[in-house]
Amino acid sequence: MSADTLLFVITGGLVLGALYALMATGLAVVWTTLGIFNFAHGAFIAAGAYIAWQISSAEASGLGYAAGALGSVVGMFFVGVACYALLVKPFERQPNLVLLSVITTLAGASVLESGIDILWGSRSKQLPRIVDGDVSLAGVTISANEAVLMVFVLVILTVLGLFLRRAPAGRAMRAVAQNRESAQLMGLDVPRLYAIAFGLSAALAAFAGVFVGSIRFMTPTMGSDPLMKALIVVIFGGVARFTSPIFAAFIVGLIEAFATFYAGLYWAPAVLFAIMIVVLIIKPEGLFGKYQRTVQ
Amino acid sequence: MRYDPPFPKSNGFRPTLIALAVLAVLPFIFTDSYSRHILILAFVFAIVAASWDLSLGFGGLFNFAHVALFAVGVYTYGILAKTLGVSPWIAMPAGGITAMALAGLIALPVLRLSGIYVILVTIAFSQLIYQVIISQSDITGGTSGMVTLPSLELFDYRFIKNHRIGYYYTALALLIAATAFLYTLTRSRFGRAIVAMRDNKYYAMSRGVSEARTRLLALMASGLFTGIAGGFYGSYVRVASPDAFGLGFLTLLLSILLLGGAATIWGPLIAALIITVLSEAMGDLGPWRNIIIAVTIVLVLVFYPGGLWAAFQELREVFDTVRTGLIARLRRSREKAAREARLNATETMIRTRHGLIAAADSGEPDGEAGPPILMIHGNSSCKEVFANQFKAFGKTHRMISFDLPGHGVSANADPEKVYNVPAYAEIAEDVLDFYGVERPIVFGWSLGGYIALELAASGRAVRGVAIAGTPPLAVAPDDVGQAYDATSHFILAGKQYLSPMEMRNFATATAGEKTPGTAYLHEAVNRTDGRARFYMITKLMVVNWPRQMRMLREGAVPFAILNGSDDPFLNHGYIAGLTYGAIWTGQPHDIADGGHAPFVRKPDAFNTAFSAFIGEACDR
Amino acid sequence: MTTPLLELRALAGGYEPVQIFQNVSLTMSADTSIGLFGPNGHGKTTLLRTVSGIIDPWRGDILFQGEQMNRPGERGSRRFRNFNYDAVTRRRMNPKRVARAGLIHVPQGNLLFPEMTVEETLSVAPAASAGRARPKDMLEQVHTLFPRVHERRHHKIRFLSGGERQMVAIGAGLMAAPKLLILDEPTLGLSPKLRHELSAAIRTIKSSGVPLIVVDQDVEFLQSLIDTLYLFDHGSISRKIEQAEMPSHAEIMAMLFGEHPA
Repeated sequence: MSADTLLFVITGGLVLGALYALMATGLAVVWTTLGIFNFAHGAFIAAGAYIAWQISSAEASGLGYAAGALGSVVGMFFVGVACYALLVKPFERQPNLVLLSVITTLAGASVLESGIDILWGSRSKQLPRIVDGDVSLAGVTISANEAVLMVFVLVILTVLGLFLRRAPAGRAMRAVAQNRESAQLMGLDVPRLYAIAFGLSAALAAFAGVFVGSIRFMTPTMGSDPLMKALIVVIFGGVARFTSPIFAAFIVGLIEAFATFYAGLYWAPAVLFAIMIVVLIIKPEGLFGKYQRTVQ
Repeated sequence: MRYDPPFPKSNGFRPTLIALAVLAVLPFIFTDSYSRHILILAFVFAIVAASWDLSLGFGGLFNFAHVALFAVGVYTYGILAKTLGVSPWIAMPAGGITAMALAGLIALPVLRLSGIYVILVTIAFSQLIYQVIISQSDITGGTSGMVTLPSLELFDYRFIKNHRIGYYYTALALLIAATAFLYTLTRSRFGRAIVAMRDNKYYAMSRGVSEARTRLLALMASGLFTGIAGGFYGSYVRVASPDAFGLGFLTLLLSILLLGGAATIWGPLIAALIITVLSEAMGDLGPWRNIIIAVTIVLVLVFYPGGLWAAFQELREVFDTVRTGLIARLRRSREKAAREARLNATETMIRTRHGLIAAADSGEPDGEAGPPILMIHGNSSCKEVFANQFKAFGKTHRMISFDLPGHGVSANADPEKVYNVPAYAEIAEDVLDFYGVERPIVFGWSLGGYIALELAASGRAVRGVAIAGTPPLAVAPDDVGQAYDATSHFILAGKQYLSPMEMRNFATATAGEKTPGTAYLHEAVNRTDGRARFYMITKLMVVNWPRQMRMLREGAVPFAILNGSDDPFLNHGYIAGLTYGAIWTGQPHDIADGGHAPFVRKPDAFNTAFSAFIGEACDR
Repeated sequence: MTTPLLELRALAGGYEPVQIFQNVSLTMSADTSIGLFGPNGHGKTTLLRTVSGIIDPWRGDILFQGEQMNRPGERGSRRFRNFNYDAVTRRRMNPKRVARAGLIHVPQGNLLFPEMTVEETLSVAPAASAGRARPKDMLEQVHTLFPRVHERRHHKIRFLSGGERQMVAIGAGLMAAPKLLILDEPTLGLSPKLRHELSAAIRTIKSSGVPLIVVDQDVEFLQSLIDTLYLFDHGSISRKIEQAEMPSHAEIMAMLFGEHPA
């Protein structure tokens, strides 16, 4: 493979990685805080894209990309909180919470997807690009849009990291994630923190949706592929820290880029899933280690 | 992690047979194509859901790739029957074989994983299978799928004729075969191993159950009929489409499983019928259909996680409570004379603080009288079990006994508040107060023994306490394992619903073989409110056992143990090893060959011993 | 007669559907400390978790400083056993409210937050102080009491030893400026030296004016600390012993079990 092609594949992988990092972090926020797997995360991404479209697109409200993105993120935060209240909260005291929430969030995903279908129809739409044209960096050309996206992703993730590390609410969320009972006994408002975590996760999904919507076509089921990718990333990397998915995301992005190059578009997903299965067998807690979570 | 339906499982064998018989004749009622179509679909979904139940409800493994196995069955049929021209009758079972093989493959990584990881791996697998299938478009038709698959026919008779009656009976035959398969499997040793692994993994492993092998076989078994159903489905709709891997199909099947209630076989069958009918009826609603199904799933899970089956169980409990209450009420008036004759006593209904209780009083004896005696019966029995004692002692002692709530002809009561030992002791107090009896001798049998001990320990003045078939406990539930021998009858003591055979077993073990003379004791088991048995267990921890033990140790109350020497429930060594401050004859006094109820089996020996104890207790 | 600090009235509770404790009543004034002693698995921890609000009581009332902590009412008879009552009933206890009122429960075990540093943990802990004291002041107090906690403040909890974690746990409890501090098995699993150190620290806490409820297996440790001892077994209080008549360990065992065949 020539150096040019190699760089091309690598940058492609990195772009994917950035996107996946965003998606997976959202999923990881819920997983680490509540201990459940939110199967509606893909639908959140789709909903985020569509709400942004509704606000920004000339065919709808025409308020422009920025307003669309902002409105979507804020709106999805509340959608996330609502989903938590309806789909997860009723089972909080059940021992089978994890299993039950798999089913209810799946159901939630179904409702969201069908809702999108009803509201917007199944014909593809697309969000506009943030900026047109290409950008050249160190001999590699990528679309300017993708470059801007990557920058945004890094900014968002950094802000998130700071929030979790420094802000009282962020620390409170981490505390609840690691030991719910101790957190309760220290006077933290656990239900409110759970709701915030879910909302935050949905807001991150909205960001992802807004980005995906600008580089791919939007359909009501556009979220299922990102969900699978986020799933792979989170399993691959584990969730030892909130940042583990990020490294794993880039690795997965690179693997996908290479797999697509060598095995073709149709086989790449299969390769990814096969690798994920192997990782799950060898090291179920992910490549980067086990998340220390006390028994709830 | 296990998916644990919060209700007791039961057989459902006979109802299943009835249901299948009804289904066999349905085509003669529903002669049009559309109705039969619905039924055929329902049968297929029922097979898939019931098979899924094997790994999920019984095995406790959430196999997300289960629906993918169905799709694999469809595609196997498509490839074999259409592309390779194999006979459909071979292609269908071949679908089962491939599904089973694939299930085995999926099982390998899952063998030692737990909970959420099983879900994740199986999701990964289902996605993997999906990707592989749509990528091989020359064989599988890629995202468009395969069409015009061969239909079923036998000797030139095309099954679609006569409004698809051929397909109907084939589907029904498959359903019967699948049900029989699952039924035998769950009742076999393997089936019990699966459940044991689910409920108590480490105990099962210590008994030699291999976790890996059990999971492997459970998953493979769940794949067999799923794949065959897939093959059949392919021959029926004649299309193999990747939609079978989709979310819509998954949630449909999941809703059937949940509505029907996991860990049952015929729950999914009924749910499949209901949901298929509803789903087809909603067919033209498009995406609204998915929303309705999804919302239903969430509502069922939130409010009633046990599904239809649990609802039936609740209804069954209501039914059973009404039934037993009616038996009591009818017998109360109808057989009163017979009961009074048996005891030679007057029966009165007393309003105690815990409900209506039937009590018997032999009355003050003429002439020389000993202390009054209160007899308390045990689990699932009635006061008439003391007929021998009433006869023997009634002339010289005032004999009092009563039916525990939910037993005999006493009324049923609020299980939460009343079906526990402390409440029973309070009832005993009320009965004594009603009759104005002070300082009686109290005799308790089995459960009644604990009530007698509780009565004395709580401070009620008694002249002496004698028990039979009751091992005293200091620490519950720890001591229960030591105090009792774990026989299968022991499990029946806490079981809410007893089959006729179980009732017969329990009655025989506690009161003796059924003879015309003891028939009424066997009937007493039938009348007993099952909730009393069940709640006895959940309230076990809050009885003040140490207080009872302390009373025995301090020896202030005259005390005797009159067990049958061959009582099969008790650990006699344990009873002999306890410390008693003052026990009659210095140790437990066994009645030879007395069984669990020596006062029934060996009345003379018992009465002699009891009489001697009373004499000595009176002197104190 | 001043309002008692804590009052439990005929409290009953457990884990659906099994009842664990029954008819527990006690009154505690602000100038005393009490101890709970009894065999494992008999409901002490369940009782404490009910008092601090982690689980709901089935019956009875909990009053802290005269204020009722539980929403009045009884756990209704659960007639339909398969109905998910949790979905439709509101919780009767709010652990956040209890903690913010000043009733601080340091639970058994000290797993805390494995991936957070000591400093971060102590920064989260004052959530319950509800303005009763300044976090800075409380932090200073904790550092004085447990110098090791100050030393290890940048380390993650999971890298601390058992004794250090216990210190952090108690320290976190203190950060909330408690009006009543409940310690569940504070010396469990610690070496005698650490036990000694910790009990000295707890005594200091007591003498600084914080009333305590202590559950522990070490009778001597309890006796040196508390004024009233409650024996707890089988889900109820079997005996109340005042400081004056405090018996030895052996006597207490006899009270609880007598000659119990092992």
